[in-house]
Amino acid sequence: MKRILLAACLAACLAGGLFAQAVASYKDLKYPPLPQVKIPEPTTFTLSNGMRVFLLEDHELPLIHGLAMVRTGNLFDPPDKKGLSEFTASVLRSGGTKVKTGDQIDEELENMAASVESSMDETSGSMSFSALKENGDTVLGVFKDVMTSPEFRQEKLDLAITQTRSAIGRRNDDASAIPDREMARIVYGPATPYGWQVEYEDLLHIHRDDLVQFYRRYYFPKNIMLAVYGDFKISEMKEKLEKLFAGWTVEQPPVPKFPEVTAKPAPGIYFAEKSDVTQTFFAMGELGGTLRDKDYAALQVAANILGQGFTSRLLSQIRTKLGYAYDVSASWSANWDHPGTFTIRGSTKSQSTTETLQAVRVELDKMRTAEVTPRELDEAKDGVLNSFVFFFDSPAKTLNRVMRYEYYGYPKDFLFQYQKAISAVTRADVLRVAKERFVPENLAIVAVGNPKEFGKPLSVLGKVNAIDLTIPEPKSDTKPESPKADAAAVERGRALLKRAQQAMGGADKLAGVKDMIQSVDMAMGGTKMKQQNRWIAPTTFRQEIQPIGIVAYSDGKSGWLSMPQGLLPMPPPVLKQAQGEIFREWITLAMSDRDSSRTVAATGPNAVEISSADGQSARLEFDAGTGLPGVLIYKETGVGGPPSEIRETFSDWRDVDGIKLPFKALIEQNGKKTGEASVSEIKLNTGIKPEELSMKPEPVKK
Amino acid sequence: MRVWLLALLPGLLFAQSLREFEKKVTEFTLPNGMRFLIIERHEAPVVSFHTYVNVGSVDDPSGESGIAHMFEHMAFKGTAAIGSKNWPKERASLAHIEEVYDKLDAEKRKGFRADPKKIEANQAELKDAIATADGFVEENEYDRIVESNGGVGMNASTAEDSTNYFYSFPENRIELWFLLESERFLHPVFREFYKERDVVREERRMRVESSPQGKLVEALLATSFAAHPYRVMPGGWGSDIDNFREPEAEQFYKKYYTPGNITIGIAGDVNPAEARRMAEKYFGRIPKAPLPPMVRTVEPKQEGEKRVAVESPAQPFLAIAYKRPSQYSPDDAALDVLSDILSGGRTGLIYKELVRDKKIALGAGSQDTFPSGKYPALFLFYVIPSQGHTLEENEKALYAIIEHVKKEKVDDATIARVRIKLRAALIRKLDSNSGLASELCSYSVNYGDWRKLFTELEEYDKVTADDVQRVAKTYLIENGRTVAYTVAPAEGGAK
Repeated sequence: MKRILLAACLAACLAGGLFAQAVASYKDLKYPPLPQVKIPEPTTFTLSNGMRVFLLEDHELPLIHGLAMVRTGNLFDPPDKKGLSEFTASVLRSGGTKVKTGDQIDEELENMAASVESSMDETSGSMSFSALKENGDTVLGVFKDVMTSPEFRQEKLDLAITQTRSAIGRRNDDASAIPDREMARIVYGPATPYGWQVEYEDLLHIHRDDLVQFYRRYYFPKNIMLAVYGDFKISEMKEKLEKLFAGWTVEQPPVPKFPEVTAKPAPGIYFAEKSDVTQTFFAMGELGGTLRDKDYAALQVAANILGQGFTSRLLSQIRTKLGYAYDVSASWSANWDHPGTFTIRGSTKSQSTTETLQAVRVELDKMRTAEVTPRELDEAKDGVLNSFVFFFDSPAKTLNRVMRYEYYGYPKDFLFQYQKAISAVTRADVLRVAKERFVPENLAIVAVGNPKEFGKPLSVLGKVNAIDLTIPEPKSDTKPESPKADAAAVERGRALLKRAQQAMGGADKLAGVKDMIQSVDMAMGGTKMKQQNRWIAPTTFRQEIQPIGIVAYSDGKSGWLSMPQGLLPMPPPVLKQAQGEIFREWITLAMSDRDSSRTVAATGPNAVEISSADGQSARLEFDAGTGLPGVLIYKETGVGGPPSEIRETFSDWRDVDGIKLPFKALIEQNGKKTGEASVSEIKLNTGIKPEELSMKPEPVKK
Repeated sequence: MRVWLLALLPGLLFAQSLREFEKKVTEFTLPNGMRFLIIERHEAPVVSFHTYVNVGSVDDPSGESGIAHMFEHMAFKGTAAIGSKNWPKERASLAHIEEVYDKLDAEKRKGFRADPKKIEANQAELKDAIATADGFVEENEYDRIVESNGGVGMNASTAEDSTNYFYSFPENRIELWFLLESERFLHPVFREFYKERDVVREERRMRVESSPQGKLVEALLATSFAAHPYRVMPGGWGSDIDNFREPEAEQFYKKYYTPGNITIGIAGDVNPAEARRMAEKYFGRIPKAPLPPMVRTVEPKQEGEKRVAVESPAQPFLAIAYKRPSQYSPDDAALDVLSDILSGGRTGLIYKELVRDKKIALGAGSQDTFPSGKYPALFLFYVIPSQGHTLEENEKALYAIIEHVKKEKVDDATIARVRIKLRAALIRKLDSNSGLASELCSYSVNYGDWRKLFTELEEYDKVTADDVQRVAKTYLIENGRTVAYTVAPAEGGAK
């Protein structure tokens, strides 16, 4: 028995635990030199039609991949057709070829578990394919057809436009994506190809023919580089490609240079409000440099010490020490051909927003006032140098790099120059470049969050500029097929409106109305409210809603909003709604033909579209029998919500001082009933004064 | 390596490619139960490491949701030898923090009779105790060693059923990895616990509370599951996180981070014999311990559709989930195939119908098992409506597709396409060290054998159109359905 027990004990001890063998400290480990990295050498040549080709064999898996770079980019988008290049790239693939629709190509490729894709970046277009070796030839054929004879079928452009329109509508949903986007607009300038973004308006101007023209201008053999790697023999692939592309010989003049960056620093604090988040997302940035910059290596080291990886100063201080953020980083993102940005970005709980921005600033200043420690410098350099081998851990990376260097005109040994430059960076270099290039005075600080939960207000840091996230409606969207141009439609529209004026009591009577007070009982959803609307011609408006206790006032240009929580200047989206209300004020709307800033055009036998120079519009539908305007349709952008179509149907017309006005309205939103309004009283020409309307409510005493 | 081509052919030939791959894989288990999978790939002098711990948020004790994730963060805080300026003093100061915290908790537990002044005093004392301990910390030393030695891709993740730690080193740093990884799981130090707790809370704010989709998924899971821990997202609830105590994380670690519960994958330029020697030297030190318990709660049968609305000013979003069995069900392969038929690539029925042809959705798709698969889970659909199109419209259209799949059998060409796609997907998984290390670990832990990565293709080959129709009819039913959708908040202001 004893012996067995001892044996069990021994086994347990050997298995570890009791006499755990001591291991050395990591400091005592010795590292043998890395074996020499075998860097594969791609085969490069030019096809007879002028296309540059880069080939590399890789026989590990039975796959073949290809990647083409086309010298174009979304920097070449026309200013009124922003997004054109991306539509071209996407419909190039989805729109099919002369002989096959895009849907047929989808099926064909997926039956082989293969892919052919096309996309657009800032300074290049790309096309790629991936295939199992056995289908290599077939897929290569599809790839070539898509590249050389796209059909750009209209239905796929329509789909792409629908998709993009929805994406624009959703661009503010994810708060974390907003700061980078807004920062780019501020740093590069919103009117330049580097800073602008695609809007609804652009989508109205992009037609199939634009795509065809864009394609013709940029997709030609001499303007394309093609890299193919995988399980094939170089000699065979070379022959195959030569044969495949031999018939494609179109030519175009060389593509011009990309536009210069013309941005000037736009420092300041920019803030966008978003009420549905518990965190503030921020980005602060200024113009950076290119990869050619003589200080690129030193800037990279400096940015790494400040804010890359778990050991950086920003992460140590703001995440580890202060616990303010999960995520905070700094980056010097240099581009190949135009200046990138120096950016610090992160997120923090709403309460610590201002403190976090202050803490970031402290770390930035430290980088600029004292040399980093020798240990920091060594570790940052070691991090780059010791991981250098990962630049060569797959043939695809090597091939991609070789092609990119040639595309952007970089020397072949650029990576090794960079390695040398990193080795040479000193502490003095880091301090110098931080002083020269990390300039706090130039930083645009963009934050998105819920200011009601901020501990300290942002204004502690300086003047705060509001960012309006409202997505601009297209100017011409509500006017189907531009009625403005059609004189006959204008003629008919005016006639319809005149008939309505007559039915309501006559144009002179209507013109004589100088003010109106309207009391309304509203039922929206399950909620009942009382509304009082007061209006003085032409544009003074006040609305009070009980029992919620909301008062809104606007003179058409600005206004204020009083809510139980307090009084505030009218935020831009609410002001937009108020301006809509003023535009649609009964009397003014009915008399639109006398207002030179408004256009009235018939859109049907009993319908007119009324639009104003400042972008408002509404549609009136008239009762064929009485001529009265029975239906009012307009678009409204909710606060932070998607634009929706509101339809109001009027009934119960009663006489008020000789003018016929509706006393009942049914309200529908996007085709669904959302409310009913019943007017209890309308008073005209009461003589109320503008001061009465603009009077702010007494603050509630606690 | 031409043999891979064979993987495309069904039947016997396929088995040969598995045998060929087996030559590259070395598998061994230490006496303490820790399992290793070594995959040789000598293309470049780099190695990827993956530590797969068979523990996840399903194992969080009640009131401590998120503690598995919290420990994952603590695993980067170092050891006595790594990360301390003065270990004896630091150890004493860490113990002191807990004493003060115990006092504070004791007072708080008096509830209405607690003395606010005492609480305030205790909180001040706690703050001082934490500051004292922080004075001994060598910030982020563990990370610093990895990064300065050329480690790339270092991170970790906590899911419902697993916790994963991973990064890659140049080939000459293999031993450094063995040292660092074994040290952190042999005797981790829970330093800076209460600051990291704030960081973890921030992570939840970022991933869930400030993300419209995060909020919707959280509501979907909490509604769909009545009892099983899949009902809580891996991050846990905010109030649980706010009240984590260090001993709770330590208890969790002791119970679940036992060597038999850990599997390690190493892929790249590595010599298996060398790796085994180092595994024994470094990980052999971890004492053997019993395997942790499994989750005992079984989700009761759902008896009717559930719906949940989430107020969100963001654009509308819809998630529809049906109860399905775990990944161990004989129907698992058929459900995978069904999901691919519904939403794979550009030929998936949902994409074709909702996005391409009707244009009522910006995006739509399905996931065969959600949020994970070890326990009975969900078959998930999601839809992002296009502008001007409603959730109702999309929901209806989606149900029509589901009904269609139940009524009409899919054709042979579709089944054949899905098989090819699943095969090709496997081949494409094999081209990176980090992917191989992680996949082999995952299959080994979840199915007892990494070979299932290959052999499951045979199961896919056996799935027929009848099977697809049958599983659609069995599981995509109203009684097992949960629908989560966004609604616009009620608006004030001008009409």
